Amino acid sequence: MIEGTLAWINSHLLTAVIFLPIVSLLVPMLLELFGWRLSATTWKLFALIVSGVGFGLALEVWDRFDASVGSMQMVERGGWIPDYGIHYYVGVDGISLFLVVLTAFLLPVIFVASWNEITKRVKQYIFFMMALQSGMLGAFLSLNLFLFYVFWEVMLIPMYFVIGIWGGPRKLYATVKFFIYTMVGSLLMLVGILVLVYLHYQQFPGDPITFDYIGFAGASGIIDTPIPTEGQPWWQNQVWLFLLFGVSFAIKVPLVPFHTWLPDAHVEAPTAGSVMLAGVLLKLGTYGFIRYSLPLFPIATIQLAPWIMWLAIIGIIYGALVAMVQSDVKKLVAYSSVSHLGFVILGLFALNLQGLEGAVLQMVNHGISTGALFLLIGMLYERRHVREISEFGGLARVMPVFTVFFLITTMSSIGLPALNGFVGEFLILLGTFAVSPIKVVFAISGVVLSAVYMLWMVRRVFFGPLVHDANRKLLDLSLREKLVATAMVVPMIWIGIYPATFLRPMDRSVSALLRKMETRGADLAAYQRVESGAGKKSAKVSRTVADE
Amino acid sequence: MIPQIDIGALGPMLPVAVGAILLPLAEVLMARKRTFLSRPFTQERRGTFLAVASLLCLVIALIISVNGLLGPSRVFNSGNPMIVMDGVAHFLNIVVLLGASLTVLGSVKYLADIHSNHGEYYALLMSSVLGMMFLTSASNLMMLFLALELMSIPLYVLAGFRRSSLRSNESALKYFLIGSFASGILLYGMAILYGMTGSISLAEIGKRFDPESAPHLLGAALVVVGLGFKISSVPFHQWAPDVYEGAPTSVTGFMATTVKVAAFGALMRVLAVALEPAAELLYGALWVMAVLSMTLGNVMAIIQQNIKRMLAYSSIAHVGYLLVGVIVGTLDGYAAVLFYLLVYTFMTIGAFTVVAILAKGGEDRDRVEDLAGLSQSRPLMAVVMTLCMFALAGIPPTAGFMGKFHLFRAAIERGIEIGDTSLFWLAIIGVLNSAISLAYYLRVPLVMYFRDAPPTSDPDVPGFFERVVLLTCLAAVVLLGIVPDDIFNVLSQTAASAQHLLLLQSP
Repeated sequence: MIEGTLAWINSHLLTAVIFLPIVSLLVPMLLELFGWRLSATTWKLFALIVSGVGFGLALEVWDRFDASVGSMQMVERGGWIPDYGIHYYVGVDGISLFLVVLTAFLLPVIFVASWNEITKRVKQYIFFMMALQSGMLGAFLSLNLFLFYVFWEVMLIPMYFVIGIWGGPRKLYATVKFFIYTMVGSLLMLVGILVLVYLHYQQFPGDPITFDYIGFAGASGIIDTPIPTEGQPWWQNQVWLFLLFGVSFAIKVPLVPFHTWLPDAHVEAPTAGSVMLAGVLLKLGTYGFIRYSLPLFPIATIQLAPWIMWLAIIGIIYGALVAMVQSDVKKLVAYSSVSHLGFVILGLFALNLQGLEGAVLQMVNHGISTGALFLLIGMLYERRHVREISEFGGLARVMPVFTVFFLITTMSSIGLPALNGFVGEFLILLGTFAVSPIKVVFAISGVVLSAVYMLWMVRRVFFGPLVHDANRKLLDLSLREKLVATAMVVPMIWIGIYPATFLRPMDRSVSALLRKMETRGADLAAYQRVESGAGKKSAKVSRTVADE
Repeated sequence: MIPQIDIGALGPMLPVAVGAILLPLAEVLMARKRTFLSRPFTQERRGTFLAVASLLCLVIALIISVNGLLGPSRVFNSGNPMIVMDGVAHFLNIVVLLGASLTVLGSVKYLADIHSNHGEYYALLMSSVLGMMFLTSASNLMMLFLALELMSIPLYVLAGFRRSSLRSNESALKYFLIGSFASGILLYGMAILYGMTGSISLAEIGKRFDPESAPHLLGAALVVVGLGFKISSVPFHQWAPDVYEGAPTSVTGFMATTVKVAAFGALMRVLAVALEPAAELLYGALWVMAVLSMTLGNVMAIIQQNIKRMLAYSSIAHVGYLLVGVIVGTLDGYAAVLFYLLVYTFMTIGAFTVVAILAKGGEDRDRVEDLAGLSQSRPLMAVVMTLCMFALAGIPPTAGFMGKFHLFRAAIERGIEIGDTSLFWLAIIGVLNSAISLAYYLRVPLVMYFRDAPPTSDPDVPGFFERVVLLTCLAAVVLLGIVPDDIFNVLSQTAASAQHLLLLQSP
């Protein structure tokens, strides 16, 4: 039986990755049902092992991944509601690969980190974290719009409970706001999906109806519709469909002005919730843009890209400015997320290889850096039960190890060369420069501001005199906490020093994406030229070179 | 000519009719001092016995209906048919019977808890079910009206079943007055339709209906208004919250689900068969009714503190969603409505059963705060309630989502097919309303999971029957959400089997 299971996992690797967390819970649940009383520690241990195995499976996906192929790999497809074109259809490409690995990586780390933090309702906590994990992995891997939508919504429920049960003082307000905000967006996306699918059905009357939106070698019957930009009722043209999808993604990212749920949710969530929110959930917004909006609505993307990029720049600067004046460490990091994800959006809508690769890499970077910041702040909060910056000062003297880890993470978040943040931001700025140099000028001011608020915070928390007596007795990191912090710092340095490990598998997939946009009517070359004076000049230069 | 009668067509109704007639008799026999067991039954035992007996009748009827579901349509009498047992009728009967069975199971302990364990409860319930079954299959105006009354009159009594409670009495009186008023309007509309077309057969009316003529349209409008009262769609909804709040909880669950199922059956049949020529105009009116129902129902539900009242407004909102499928008016739309009715029955009865279990010592505990800390004291009830709320809100992977998905899918498919912007707007308004509805549906799990119970609270333990109801609803809400494929295929076939009726061909 075990061999059979292993063989099954071997041939259905992605399915195993998605459903392992939630299905494995059946084991302790059945044990409890038949009268075994499992202690909280047993549950935690079980969760840790399962999430570790999940990470192992994700690494196996990475190992099997063929970087020389740009299309979907390890595809699995089966009927769910086949009469309506709804299939269980999953696959991985260079864009989703590292997001999956990141998601699988964060869960065991979180379980170790919150070993002592969660004391009440441990079973429910583990259940909701596992359900959340399955939902997120499913959303990254699904290739059927309906399946994607289901996973996208399924994530909300566990997150709602995680914030609501284990959250801070204003948890009820925060969790309801989070839920309603995201739900409004995703419901509009549902309408968008339906309109898209039936437009395709109408344009190709012979084809069976389908919600599959991306093909693999030899696939047929996918949504490959050149959606018109005019000549149809207004709600059926590309721009409106883009907006129906885009609002949902923009709320998740969050793009200014849809960001107001984020600080509340981040601050009130327990450490595990914050890490999952910052580390993975926000990425689903940007992932949605890259996976759905760009290839499905390329013409609308080009039309709207300048506006979205300006919104991203407003987000970069606004997030940084607001972060600067925060007195609560966690809130500061929350607003820094708004700023950092602005960069990701900027890179995405540059619509060139550097920009897109930088954006995908920066998604991973932000997940690691900001996740690590939240974990470290959680450790501090466990000791002092306050997060006000003014409550600290001079911590470097009592907690030297903690200080070192925090400094490295801060540097990675700021984007110091040789750490991960630098590579991502540099590629994004490079990509954006090809489109619009003026936007780069504004964006770089965001980089400077991020150094200002992060370093200012570090100075006030770690250096200077030890003013508060409560801080004198603080213990430095325990072995468990050192392990957590080390696990987070290793990928920062790895990506910073040798990003090629991560960039190479993306290459083919990203260029395949750009090609697909072009075949569906997007004039990318013109976009790169029209938007930028520099682009024109360089084009002219290259022409003269060619002439000679 | 003597019409040929196919009594077998009434198969599903017979067990229910037998139950409705024999149950009061059984109650009287058991109440005597010397029974065949030589000692009187206790009141509690009598209640259980009657519940099991009525359940038996319902299950037999259910089995007959399931057997008939994919079989050929049967007509009760030749000539102008009064009763047509087609796929749609069978399916709606199944939903009604399921709802009634769950209600019966959920009533046993509840009736004892509110000190109203009188035997006639089950007999009244059965007569009402009988009315509903006739209503779903009626294919002429006379039959329609008779069935409607047979359904409604026992419900007036059931609403006032807690004789000593003022609220229950108010509920019954209000329901009775408004109900009679609605019947009057409906009857007036029918009279006009008969007067203008000279027939009471729905199919004949459909052939002779003249959408240009004002009296024809007046008749059609009055019929729709009368049915609008029965499904409690805005602006004919004002009675619903008061009636739902005052009636005994088990009866409320019954009213909120099965009545709507049967009335929607009648509405679809009347619209698709008799009033099809006036579709254009009527659908405009229904569009407004749908939008108003969704929006008003959801907005008003937000401010309610009483769960039954909240669910009453939520049921008004759900009528709005259901009307979307009716407005679409294709077979696909009707199939979506049928599916949603099934799903809606499970999720609503699940929620009402949880509220009913909480009743204790003769009093309902139906404020939202009464649920505080339920996740700690009664996890099963909390899980069922939470899933029902998520399902009502339409969040995947629950059945409620599948239901809404099919409704809005049908609307958009049709909208794109005929290039109709109003159907697109209907879908947009529908999904935005689902978002509004979260504001109150989420409050219930919030109270159950995030608040601690007051130290005095000691929620009742669900009995065996209640457990069965809770687990059935749980299983249905989850399974219909995860594997809806088979049941929806059956529904598509069902709708197709009724096609000859919907397409105006006299059988």
